[in-house]
Amino acid sequence: MSAVLASAIAPAARGRLGFLALAAVYAALVLGCLWTLAAAGDLSLGRNPWDNLVKSLADFSRPSFLDTWFGPERLEYRSDDGTLLRVENRRQVEADFLAGLGRATWTTFQIATLGSLLAAVLALPLAMGAARNLRAPRAVAIAAKGVLDVARSIHTLVFGLVLVGIVGLGPTAGILAIALHSMGTYGKLFAESIESLDMGAIDAVRATGASPAQVFFHGVWPSVLPQFVSHHLYVWEFNIRDSTILGLIGAGGLGLLISEAVSLFQWSRLATILLVVVALVTAFDALSRRVREALL
Amino acid sequence: MSAPDAVLLDDVRVEVAGRALLHVPRLEVRQGERVAVVGPNGAGKSTLLRLLAGLVDATAGDVRVLGRPVHELARHEVGLLMQGLHLVPRLSARENVLVGALARLRGIDAWRSWLRLYPGALVREADGALASLGLADRAGMRADRLSGGERQKVAVARLQLQGPRLVLADEPTSALDPSATRQVCDALRALAEPAGRTLVSVVHDTELLPLLATRVIGIAGGELQWDLPIEALEPGRLEALYRPKSAGSGTGPRASLPVRLAMASGT
Repeated sequence: MSAVLASAIAPAARGRLGFLALAAVYAALVLGCLWTLAAAGDLSLGRNPWDNLVKSLADFSRPSFLDTWFGPERLEYRSDDGTLLRVENRRQVEADFLAGLGRATWTTFQIATLGSLLAAVLALPLAMGAARNLRAPRAVAIAAKGVLDVARSIHTLVFGLVLVGIVGLGPTAGILAIALHSMGTYGKLFAESIESLDMGAIDAVRATGASPAQVFFHGVWPSVLPQFVSHHLYVWEFNIRDSTILGLIGAGGLGLLISEAVSLFQWSRLATILLVVVALVTAFDALSRRVREALL
Repeated sequence: MSAPDAVLLDDVRVEVAGRALLHVPRLEVRQGERVAVVGPNGAGKSTLLRLLAGLVDATAGDVRVLGRPVHELARHEVGLLMQGLHLVPRLSARENVLVGALARLRGIDAWRSWLRLYPGALVREADGALASLGLADRAGMRADRLSGGERQKVAVARLQLQGPRLVLADEPTSALDPSATRQVCDALRALAEPAGRTLVSVVHDTELLPLLATRVIGIAGGELQWDLPIEALEPGRLEALYRPKSAGSGTGPRASLPVRLAMASGT
């Protein structure tokens, strides 16, 4: 629909009038979205959003890990008539949760790392097929491009849902989901760096009488490797972020704890988990940026 | 048995999209000669060189280089120094020079070259080639950090390690300062020094002719105009070659320029 619109408008889009027309179409689309939502009664913020916000923020502001040191050592649960039901050491409970959180973080890291590596390996031949300057046979190029486009357009979560049904719950489904989606991203990035190769340098190596393997290792590889490593770090970093939610669909890792905390309204635990997520992503981000800058 | 000619062209025509770029009735360059090709822009000088390098195919006629058809040659026997052939940007100057020696490597050394590991003697040879061009302190620097003049010198050092029997150099000193020009010319001359080595270069700066050539070929409008040993070259001939043709030249015959094919007998 929008493609039809765009192709009908494109010739007229030159000049100011065309731009104004496009802006008017965009404004109409936005208003249309708002109007239809409001008409269906779906534009509400719930019954008492303000109270809920204050309550959630209050819980959030006291992350659960603080209880490991400052929580009550004897929390007594009593029934209404005062009989002692259970005694809980809050410090011990939260320490156990932190240990579980550590294990889940490691699982998330495993999923992202192995999934990214598998994706990179799968993407390499497809990128070589799709790179225009390598002139793969037309059928191969179209097939490679098609596979990469499909992989890129299906979200990791969707792959995950399908794969949980095939290989069962657990990290394997997560690894495969990351691999299948990221393959599309890697393929596009790899193909672009192959297309930006300096063919003059490769021709020069070939002109010295070097064998095809020597041309590859002296002309192609040194130019392409730093870019591949840089792309790999970038997508790996992205996947660490992505794999934190894969647990939501049963693929293991931090996402499982997030979904538990949310279902039990344990906002203070959610705060702890999110702190770990932010720390993990920020640390890896800083590290990979360092390495990528060194590679330039 | 005498060695075959380094270059032998017989009634060669090169046309691209129906446009005649070059016509050479006959041209012989014997092994050991140093030949410079001169002429105005668009005369066909580069086309001649690219023809000999196998980068352009003849539309008609016979092209023989080192006694064989161009496409049957072993690539390492012909050394190219021309625009469009770059250094590998991320390799060091030394590694770029060592690329020239790849075709020489045999057995385990050829396999080790995949990891960019080279015999020590070869590395010393590469450093020596760089030092002779005044680049001793640039050996470890990445090629994309070198200046334009330094890159050209590295390309010449790469040729030194390649040791080709025929060197084809297209304007080897364009964009070089006077001292670098001198160094590159000396290095090219040294390349052609061993017995039987041949140098064919396209030269714009006629002052360099004595350095690079024992024989000079004038081309204009895609036709050979003259072919003289350097001692017989008078300034008038060069001037005539570069002089713009008179009004109506678009249709005028090229025969207005002196046409003489003097087959020089070498030196």
